[in-house]
Amino acid sequence: MELAYIATILPSILRGLATTLQLFFMTLIFALPLGLVFTLGSISRFYPLKWVSKTYILVFRGTPLMLQLFFIYYGLPFLGVTLDKFPSAVLTFVLNYAAYFAEIYRAGIQSIDIGQHEAAKTLGFTPGQTMRLIIIPQAVSRIIPPVCNETITLVKDTALVTAIGVGEMLKAAKGAVNRDMNITAYIVVAIIYLLLTLVLTKVYEKLEVRYNRYQKKGV
Amino acid sequence: MSILSVEHVCKSFGSFEALKNVSLTVEKGEAVAIIGSSGSGKSTLLRCVNNLEKITSGAISIDGEYLVTTQNGRAVYQSEKQLRRICMKTGMVFQQFNLFPHMTAIENITVAPIRILGQNRADALANARRLLDVVGLADKADNYPAQLSGGQQQRIAIARALAIGPDIMLFDEPTSALDPELTAEVTNVIAKLAAEDITMMIVTHEMEFARRCADRVLFFDSGEVVAQGAAAEFFQNQENERVRRFLSSIEK
Repeated sequence: MELAYIATILPSILRGLATTLQLFFMTLIFALPLGLVFTLGSISRFYPLKWVSKTYILVFRGTPLMLQLFFIYYGLPFLGVTLDKFPSAVLTFVLNYAAYFAEIYRAGIQSIDIGQHEAAKTLGFTPGQTMRLIIIPQAVSRIIPPVCNETITLVKDTALVTAIGVGEMLKAAKGAVNRDMNITAYIVVAIIYLLLTLVLTKVYEKLEVRYNRYQKKGV
Repeated sequence: MSILSVEHVCKSFGSFEALKNVSLTVEKGEAVAIIGSSGSGKSTLLRCVNNLEKITSGAISIDGEYLVTTQNGRAVYQSEKQLRRICMKTGMVFQQFNLFPHMTAIENITVAPIRILGQNRADALANARRLLDVVGLADKADNYPAQLSGGQQQRIAIARALAIGPDIMLFDEPTSALDPELTAEVTNVIAKLAAEDITMMIVTHEMEFARRCADRVLFFDSGEVVAQGAAAEFFQNQENERVRRFLSSIEK
């Protein structure tokens, strides 16, 4: 495993990495807010909305991500909707991850003491204002660790899209390994996945400190 | 006209009757203490007054406005919007303080005046500083609740409740979560408010506090008001056997 060889395979791996990162960030950008929509739906007292949200979450958490990917890429054309590989991957990941985020948010929101709702109510807050100004800001600090966990899973799940032929990092590595009969490329991408996870862990640690400031004792 | 009027209120949790035909009034400037054993319905009554619990039948009005009346034997409530407006005439202080932990002391006090009452920031802040002075915590404006003692948190909670300009303050066992030393700093603040003729209803287990602050004392037992009277009279010349047993049991 010499450096000269790594230098020859690196450009294609980095091109794959760009796709991996694109998928990763687009999933986060859309799934994080979409998750909140399903959270609010699932705790709503309006039954049809609750039912739709709960069913959505059940379906997307209850079936394999790979299968969902196949449905959207190979299945949607039968309904007259044909998406390219990459948009299919993004759509699948957003829909799937929103379901997981929704449940993480719900746990965070429901962990806030009932006394907070009561105090807000006696001060004249509507349920919506209570959620926005009192409950969600407190829930944020509690959901950071599980969201971090889920995000790390997402980094690695992006490798799944190689199954529909999206040219992400693992596909690039696989190409090199097959062509050169040399597993160095796998080692290189393993290290890159690890580095990505490490960076994410650090970012979330910082966020956690920031959002927990108010819980610190002493001045 | 009474600030608070509770008329024939019944409240059941399933088959358990928490309140049985309770009637009482609180007049402007009056401080009323409610005492009685745990589970006698004292806190439930307070929570019904500000709509944290729904009554089964009866009527409750605050400053002449009914939040609930009874028609054909069933409690009929005003719309949620009206209830919010009427209940803002009450200021609630909870046993567990329930300050908003993500906001500083002064943010806790100003959030409702700014967001709900639409006061401008400068006015709300000025009023909050005045209230911090009243509760003796002017130097803690920028502290988060986690940085304050239980007694300090409860005093901030009192300031927060006062900030919406209520006609009546409701105290739900305000010192039960505090040790004796911290209890004194909270009861002193409440006594000061009572001396300023702020209308209040206090549910408490502290007899000395009730004796000191209240104009009138009501004794609850099994969801009913079984005795009441002017505070001094109530504690000194109590004729009701049940009440005397209760008073001697806690004085020991």
